[in-house]
Amino acid sequence: MRFANVFVALAATTVMLIGCASQKEPAEKAMAQAESSLAEFRADAEKYAADELAKVDASINKLKNSLASKDYSMVVKAAPSLNSTIASLKQSVAAKKADADAMMAAAQAEWTDLSAKVPQMVEAIQSRVDTLGKSRKLPANLDKATFETVKTNFETMKTEWTDASAQFASGQADAAVRKAREVKAKGDEILSKLGMTPA
Amino acid sequence: MSTENPYAQYHVVKTGDTLSKIAEEYYGDKMLYPKIFEANKDVLQDPNKIKPGQKLRIP
Repeated sequence: MRFANVFVALAATTVMLIGCASQKEPAEKAMAQAESSLAEFRADAEKYAADELAKVDASINKLKNSLASKDYSMVVKAAPSLNSTIASLKQSVAAKKADADAMMAAAQAEWTDLSAKVPQMVEAIQSRVDTLGKSRKLPANLDKATFETVKTNFETMKTEWTDASAQFASGQADAAVRKAREVKAKGDEILSKLGMTPA
Repeated sequence: MSTENPYAQYHVVKTGDTLSKIAEEYYGDKMLYPKIFEANKDVLQDPNKIKPGQKLRIP
């Protein structure tokens, strides 16, 4: 009877050890696959979904610890859920990247338009301001105080345009376009004060 | 180049206009008429000869 009990216990332990060992390869494979899937879009994930990526990384680290402590069944059991989370993150990153790309394309198009118009505006205003600066008397529709304000605002406009151009050159297209819109609005106001109605 | 600037201002010559008169209207100073003449040398040969209907750029 005693011998039988020992035999059963040994048999059970053997079965358990064999079962555990048989889970090792699938567990390692599952971890490798998860890490490989994530590596494919990690750079974009860091840029567009850093918080979600951090959560997935935490899950992976947890399973790595399980793997290190030879809890292979835990890894195998959790792998499908992890893969599903990674797939969902991949979709989310792709959608956010598409949105960002569309916004960037729109900003680039608007910048192209503004970067053609604003320098022409500056040229027209500069020419008029220079000429009025040489005038012995201002035209009837412009008093001295307004002309002084125009000159000050025009200098600001030129400085802001330089800033906007620098922002665009450094890759900040969105901020550059926002500033360029303000610059153009300022230019429109100056043109109006100078009585320079569009052709 | 400057003739294509959409923000350039133009003046259509009316009967009785002279470059001095136009300069006074836009600049307040009739003595600045050469500015207008220089900007319109492609259509004006003589600052004293402008015709009604001519479209002049006011720089």
